[in-house]
Amino acid sequence: MANFNIDATQQRTFQAIVIGSGLSGSWAAKELCEHGVKTLVIERGREVKHLRDYPTTNMLPFEFEHRGQLTKQIEEENPVVSKCYAFREDAMHFFVKDKEHPYIQEKPFDWIRGYQVGGKSLLWARQVQRWSDFDFEGPARDGFAIDWPIRYNDIAPWYSHVEKFAGVSGNKDGLPNLPDGEFLPGFELNIVEKYFQEQLKKHYGDSRHMILARCAHITGNLEYYKQQGRLQCQSRNLCQRGCPFGGYFSANASTLPWAERTGNLTMRTDAVVHSIIYDEAKGKATGVRMVDANTKQTEEYFADVIFVNAAALNTNLILLNSTSNRFPNGLGNDNGLLGKYVAFHNYRAGISAEYEGFADYTTQGGRPTSGYFPRFRNLHKQETDFLRGYAAGFSAGKYNYADQSGIGLSLKEQLLNPSKYGNWTVGSHMMGETIPKESNLVTLSKNEKDAWGIPLLSVHVEYDDNDEKMVKDYQEQMTEMFEKAGFTNIRVRDDHRAPGLDIHEMGGVRMGKDPKTSLLNKNHQLHACANVYVTDGACMTSTSTQNPSLTYMAFAARAAHHAMKNQRWGKI
Amino acid sequence: MQRREALKSLAVLTGGAILVPSCNFEKEEILAAYSNLKVTPAQQSLLAQIADTIIPPGKLKGAQDLAIQDFILVMVNDCVAQTGQTQFTIGLQAFNSFSKKKGGKNFSKLESTAKEKVIAEGLSIGAETTDENQKAVREFLSITKRFTIQGFMMSQYIMTEIKPYNLIPGSYNGEVLISSISNMKIDG
Repeated sequence: MANFNIDATQQRTFQAIVIGSGLSGSWAAKELCEHGVKTLVIERGREVKHLRDYPTTNMLPFEFEHRGQLTKQIEEENPVVSKCYAFREDAMHFFVKDKEHPYIQEKPFDWIRGYQVGGKSLLWARQVQRWSDFDFEGPARDGFAIDWPIRYNDIAPWYSHVEKFAGVSGNKDGLPNLPDGEFLPGFELNIVEKYFQEQLKKHYGDSRHMILARCAHITGNLEYYKQQGRLQCQSRNLCQRGCPFGGYFSANASTLPWAERTGNLTMRTDAVVHSIIYDEAKGKATGVRMVDANTKQTEEYFADVIFVNAAALNTNLILLNSTSNRFPNGLGNDNGLLGKYVAFHNYRAGISAEYEGFADYTTQGGRPTSGYFPRFRNLHKQETDFLRGYAAGFSAGKYNYADQSGIGLSLKEQLLNPSKYGNWTVGSHMMGETIPKESNLVTLSKNEKDAWGIPLLSVHVEYDDNDEKMVKDYQEQMTEMFEKAGFTNIRVRDDHRAPGLDIHEMGGVRMGKDPKTSLLNKNHQLHACANVYVTDGACMTSTSTQNPSLTYMAFAARAAHHAMKNQRWGKI
Repeated sequence: MQRREALKSLAVLTGGAILVPSCNFEKEEILAAYSNLKVTPAQQSLLAQIADTIIPPGKLKGAQDLAIQDFILVMVNDCVAQTGQTQFTIGLQAFNSFSKKKGGKNFSKLESTAKEKVIAEGLSIGAETTDENQKAVREFLSITKRFTIQGFMMSQYIMTEIKPYNLIPGSYNGEVLISSISNMKIDG
């Protein structure tokens, strides 16, 4: 028996453990495995193999019983996840259903999750904009949160590293606030979007820009991506089903199979992490305690280094639940700030309008991205009565539709021969920076536990006055720009959505220079437990406005290399 | 897809219908697959004729050829809110008496032009009407028309044989002259 136990422990011992197989975790795993580090990836959900486990990917519209629509029953059973735009008949199997994984909403919070191998990387909107020092220097300049311990120069080479491998399509726009990267050819802006670009130049000079959004899709360098088994994006716009071409970046299509090929990756799926094991004598974390999702049996795995990439709020949950004599309030939580300063992106406002020009023109084909407004508000100096600003999506489209009046043969012919074109429609949505506050936080429920004996997460996150002012400013500024461009029938909206539906929740384990006011150092190590790294959304000190996934991936790659140097591992 | 399988096996077992007691303790047939609607086979057949009047056969197949009535029932049963389902059911039940009033006969006995006229009249019942049955007939017909159009245009027949749907739509062109797009006229 003794021998058996020793063997069992050896079999359960790795050099590195990565908790979470999504976007950021898979990047840590890829870097580690590629450099010879024996790595265990623990995933709480089921296996989803590229190609094999995309059951709907090639289904035609008529093959969906409800032609894509959700049933009332599913909507009623899932009031939270049903709000997500991508939760439809073709992709609902990749989302967590409300009843399966309850959480406590102290304030309304729509927590959208994907518990499977690859996590939400199968479902993301694939927008990848770099941060610049206008973002990293935000808290220090404007006096909120704490100063980031890193700057653009620290992360720029890692952005390049990630962009090259993931495949990013975009244009070199030469904007200091949205640095250029390693881009494959960009998709096309349409005639009205280009017109709007010119109008902005005419009315605002160089102070406001609308560019092609950079997106993680393969549009060139095809031989290189063949090594990953990935092909050119075919503009299907069915990404949320999983892509049979591997045309967009997902952990499933890219980083995980790459890591697997090295022979250094071990995957443990259906394993819910309970906590990280801390050894007081050694003064470091030694492993991970997990519960088998199906058998509910507890198992322990051991490693020299642990990466926590469980997705922002679940990373908070795991650390809060990792208690010991040394850390009674959660791993690394000497200052009591773990779980606090959670923030997100404010997606409440939008605008739509029409344009009567270019009436003779339309578009054809598909495009997996759209236009993008980098932040222009308070960019160089404070100019409004609220802090920071917003980025925005922008797109124009033209639709061919059929006259649906009448019945009988005339209706049938109208439907088969759609002949009507409306005006161009133009629209935009805001992506506002929110200010991290101590009062926006997550905690563990004292008495409610999930099916695996883990305390439920209790979420207390809400908007503040700064957000309200920003919604108003977005509506005013966009209206002004739309009017100047000659757009008509302008309608602004504020859908008052709860935080969370942006699916950009961040923070709780923030980075900083000072252990008194932050949890992580500049290398993503817990100040108080240096062999634990956090590189997902939980590490964010502030949110800025960019879609954050690219930054998490770059952080994960950078931190993995730091760990390897520190441990004198691998062939770096 | 599962429902189709379930329906098939149900059909084998029961001939497509099951017997359930109704309010007045008489037994009537109810189609088990649409449990929220309590639709009889006779009503299903009436619905098929209504859909087929909205999109009739011609050079191309019509609604009934494509069993659009089953799609309508699936959608109303599964995706329409309860108030809409109630209006749909009442309107379907009341439709033959509406047909008698407007066309002089049960719907199935009418000539096709008369059928079109009855449906057109039903769809144009004014919003101001206070007659609950009239309201329900209008609501029933407008739901039926909506799903007939969707079911027809998104049918396998249309999307493979008539206007083939392409999973790969082709690369984006953001500046296409509408006049340059050649559209072959499709005769219905």
